[in-house]
Amino acid sequence: MKVLIVEDERSMALEVEHFLKRSSWLCDLAFTARQAKQFMEEGSYDFILLDLGLPDQDGLKVLEEARKNCPDASYIIITARGKLEDRIMGLDLGADDYLSKPFSLLELQSRMHAIVRRKSGLNNSIVAVGDFSIHLTNRVVLFNEEDVGLSKKEFDLLSYLVLHKNRPLTRMQLSEHIWGGFSDGDYDSNYIDVHIKNIRKKMTAFAPVDWLQTIRGVGYKIKL
Amino acid sequence: MKLLTKLTLFSTISKLVIVLLFVWLLPILVDRVAFGYADYRLKQQEKKVFDVIKTNGIDYYFAGDSTYGSYTLLKEEYVSLEKANALVYPDTLQTAERIVEGDTLNYRMLIRNFDYNDRHYTLEIGKTIASIRQYNVPLQRIALYVLAALVGITLLTDLFVTRTLLRPLSNIIRDKLINSSFPFRQTFKPVKTSTADFRYLDESLMALMQQITQDFERERAFTSNASHELMTPIGILQTKMENLMLSEIDEAAQQRLIDMMTILARLKRIVNALLLISRIENAQYARTDVVNIDQLIHEITDELSDRMESKNITLQSDMQKNLQLKQLNRDLIFQLFYNLITNAIRYNREGGRIDISGSYDNSGSYAITISDTGQGIPDDELNVIFNRFKKGSNPTGEGNGLGLSIVQSIAGYHGITVSVKSWPGAGTAFTVTFPQSMVAE
Repeated sequence: MKVLIVEDERSMALEVEHFLKRSSWLCDLAFTARQAKQFMEEGSYDFILLDLGLPDQDGLKVLEEARKNCPDASYIIITARGKLEDRIMGLDLGADDYLSKPFSLLELQSRMHAIVRRKSGLNNSIVAVGDFSIHLTNRVVLFNEEDVGLSKKEFDLLSYLVLHKNRPLTRMQLSEHIWGGFSDGDYDSNYIDVHIKNIRKKMTAFAPVDWLQTIRGVGYKIKL
Repeated sequence: MKLLTKLTLFSTISKLVIVLLFVWLLPILVDRVAFGYADYRLKQQEKKVFDVIKTNGIDYYFAGDSTYGSYTLLKEEYVSLEKANALVYPDTLQTAERIVEGDTLNYRMLIRNFDYNDRHYTLEIGKTIASIRQYNVPLQRIALYVLAALVGITLLTDLFVTRTLLRPLSNIIRDKLINSSFPFRQTFKPVKTSTADFRYLDESLMALMQQITQDFERERAFTSNASHELMTPIGILQTKMENLMLSEIDEAAQQRLIDMMTILARLKRIVNALLLISRIENAQYARTDVVNIDQLIHEITDELSDRMESKNITLQSDMQKNLQLKQLNRDLIFQLFYNLITNAIRYNREGGRIDISGSYDNSGSYAITISDTGQGIPDDELNVIFNRFKKGSNPTGEGNGLGLSIVQSIAGYHGITVSVKSWPGAGTAFTVTFPQSMVAE
């Protein structure tokens, strides 16, 4: 999968590239609208991450043109201006998703996966974890066709951990994912422990879940 | 009352008063003029009589008799001369009755005593009152008709002229005050008028609106730029830390990194909250949504149900179903209730209760009360809880102290009132009151 990162903050662009490369994405970097257009003319991309605040052109204009040149790519627009109009305009212009700065790299990857899943047209993407199968589209976890009965938030947590498997995720990262903009720091982080406890309780009723590890002082990790 | 109405009313009333005054005064005036003229005529006739006497001699009239009298056929006028023994009457003009050939008639008369060849005479010239007044009624009638016509014409011209004169003012009021709402998106055209006052008013108003719009845009640009300038470095730090977290580092370094990430997240939340408040105060959110408030609160309590469960909190919700509230921004109202309900969970005791109830009050406004069974807020802290960064003496000490400031900002922006009552040790109740104008029919 090939990604074009259009971001004028070099430091930021490099971090995103670094992160995505770990997950075996191929990345190109463009720091201006002009460079971005050049890349888009020369190559084709599965994903285009587009910062709306480019120095040489309005990001929404770039998006409009890019959609003509690379209609097959998926677009995620990124802005630090926090303007509601930008988000609405961006989605109207055909962006697939929207992230506002500062965003978590884990969140970016999760959104990208969601888009891939949506666009691949697979009605049921199933991920096997231990003896369980996670049905991402139906949002259920089954053990031998039997529903484990996770709540909405518990499912969100588990699937996020599965997506970032073999990486330690902090309570805060998890809480920012499931509570989003409403996340309120340490206090919400405590609820992550409660949710994990419930997930373990519900799932061990069917089979052991020693793949769901607690990393002391850090958070949780799914080791597969 | 509108200026035009006032002016029209005033000119109508003043004209009416003039007409009434005229109707009342007219008979008196006409009478006065008629009598004045009659007196003048009598004096002229007197002069003529003396001229004739001078020419013909007085005996020509008496012809041996002691009196002389002459009157017209209808006895409207008469002249009498008689010898007088002494000067009985003073010379005078008077109104009195006289009997002429058996008819008693009212006359205006001139009585003149004079001496002629050492003898006393009295001259009387009279004119009936009826003949003096004969033109009074038709004259009055014509005067009234003319007056009525004139008043009618001036009223219409007044109305037309004031209307024309005041049109620029009503244009200013309609275009710039009634039909324009802040923030001013449209560009205003100056009103066409030759009246200096209106032009001045219009220009001042436009300058003021432009000034406000500029300030508003400047602030909007400022929040947008501040947002960008603050969020970009936070974003870079966050991605760098996340990448570092995924690399091989020892446990101690990892722990420090987590602390840094936690602090950065706190910074992010504070900046976000402050930007949110400043965007609300800069009116950057449309207030055009119609919200089913029961549904919205359900959404929030669903979202938070896990938290309530983990604290064994019982939720009791008693709201009017299908009640729609209008002129709101749904996202902001969601945030308002989200903050209040999370607080109700956070500061509640284990196994406590949360009651959410809605009711109409006498004035037709709708009030939603969220009460908890938490530790309550001491009286002396109640008035500062909405202040920014005030956390009170709360033992849990969590949060950034901006949650209730956001609630306050959102409420103020919508014209909603939020009040709080607390019973230390027993619980707190927040009441959110939507004015009647927001309760959709």
